[in-house]
Amino acid sequence: MGFYEAEKTHRVLSIVTAIAILVVFQLLMWPSSVSAEQEAELPDDQCVRCHQEMEILPEGFVPHDVHLQDGLSCAGCHGGDPTSDDEDAAMSPEAGFVGVPSKSETSAFCGKCHSDIEFMRGYLPRIPTDQIAQYATSGHGKGLAAGDVKVAGCVDCHTSHGILPASDSRSSVHALNVPHTCKRCHSDAEYMSGYGIRTDQFEKFAESVHGVALFENQDTGSPACNDCHGNHGASPPQVESIRQVCGHCHVNNMLYFNASTMAVAFKANGFHACEECHGNHGVKKTTDDMVGVGEESTCVGCHDGDAGYRAAEVIREHLRELVSAYEEAEVWRTEVHRKGMDDVEIGFLLQESHQNLIKARTLVHTFDPEKVGEMTTGGVAKARTALELAVEQVEEYDFRRRGFGLATIFITILIVALFLRIRQMEAK
Amino acid sequence: MNRRGFVSLLLGGGILGWLGAVLYPIISYLNPPKVPEANVQTVKAGSASDFPKNTAQIVKFGRKPVILIKTNNDEFLAFAATCTHLDCIVQYRGDLKQIWCACHNGLYDLKGRNISGPPPKPLDEYAVNIVEDEIHISEMG
Repeated sequence: MGFYEAEKTHRVLSIVTAIAILVVFQLLMWPSSVSAEQEAELPDDQCVRCHQEMEILPEGFVPHDVHLQDGLSCAGCHGGDPTSDDEDAAMSPEAGFVGVPSKSETSAFCGKCHSDIEFMRGYLPRIPTDQIAQYATSGHGKGLAAGDVKVAGCVDCHTSHGILPASDSRSSVHALNVPHTCKRCHSDAEYMSGYGIRTDQFEKFAESVHGVALFENQDTGSPACNDCHGNHGASPPQVESIRQVCGHCHVNNMLYFNASTMAVAFKANGFHACEECHGNHGVKKTTDDMVGVGEESTCVGCHDGDAGYRAAEVIREHLRELVSAYEEAEVWRTEVHRKGMDDVEIGFLLQESHQNLIKARTLVHTFDPEKVGEMTTGGVAKARTALELAVEQVEEYDFRRRGFGLATIFITILIVALFLRIRQMEAK
Repeated sequence: MNRRGFVSLLLGGGILGWLGAVLYPIISYLNPPKVPEANVQTVKAGSASDFPKNTAQIVKFGRKPVILIKTNNDEFLAFAATCTHLDCIVQYRGDLKQIWCACHNGLYDLKGRNISGPPPKPLDEYAVNIVEDEIHISEMG
């Protein structure tokens, strides 16, 4: 090996060694780099520095807490002097240190900022500032005011040092997490003993139409606990307010019910509007059999042989007639589609027919057979037109198949005839 | 009938049948279907100047209904007309300047966002272009 080759080998080895050292160095430094990055997210003040060194940061303390992220450090809530490294001076009453509030002091503690619209405007201009006032009217707030420290306060739902905005899916008050947050207390039979409140709400809700939409379909438009009971002003809806609560989303159902004679009777008897037929936490997906006089009917609970009983029977019959016409036409539409024929117009007609069915089901809340009947008659007519079109398409398909078969026969005959004619001509 | 006659009959019948088999599909093809082709990218929706302000109409976009709206500012907007709640066809409410679903009183604003009632999601938006006074609706993106 000459000098040139030896020098070349030496240089290559040097470069490889340098790269290897750099890689090892990076690997060794990596965990502390990440840790430095996490530390960088924390406010650089004396409170964090000392509490971190002494490993006495509060439980659940996370750097992505919304207050820390907005530059509001420990002293922002607890007071004190975050610049002093003297523990006694930093955490002295003279420095404004208030320490950890008691349960009964918590709402006022958070309310110092959250009820101050001028202050909050600097951070979240659109955030409401009536949470504490609402809380005072809630079952929780009233309980706390009466000295019951088992009720939920701000930190029980929002946490203390890991608070995230409700829009953050990691937040304990995000729409998908609210039922789990409420469940922590409300499903604990031992904790809830003495309140006279059931503890099966979560289980019922999880199986309900709302719960399935929320948990399984991740549909945050579906109501969680707070959408019916309120957030900070959480309380059970009263008899008068139940239909307003449900009517917030199910608007037409509420309007029809309010205008019906049934609303008057319900009020006179102290019935709970929607809840009487649909239940509350375990509200199931409705079926047509809930109307009528069958086993699953909710009408027969009160009506037996009277005008209401007969009305329920007629309404059920109207619905059955439309469902039957729609389903028959839908089967034919599927057949048209399967055969590769034109089903566009049939699809539009069936969509309109289905729309009539949905409207008729909503009109059930008028408890008026005539109104329901008017809607179902229109739907049946559309379904029948769709059925006629579908039958035409299927017949056209069959005609084309027969035509194709005939054409094949004719062509075969033509070929045979030509063959025979050619033989005749050759024989001449 | 002699053999020659039979063969001629066979040949004539075969030619007639063959002509029928060829001509029927041609005539069927020349006679257009009642509705346009199902898979469409763009549909024409008539004259922009003839479309009254603050009104809407449902346009068939292939298999899907689309609601075409002309605002008071002569702006054209188009959205999927199928309500995201239970698939009813939505309508335009000129009095509210909003899109309304009659089935459960769901409301959408003029950006297609669900703003009231049970609809869980916004309506899909369609692009509207005016080419020489003719309205063209096409899928976004």
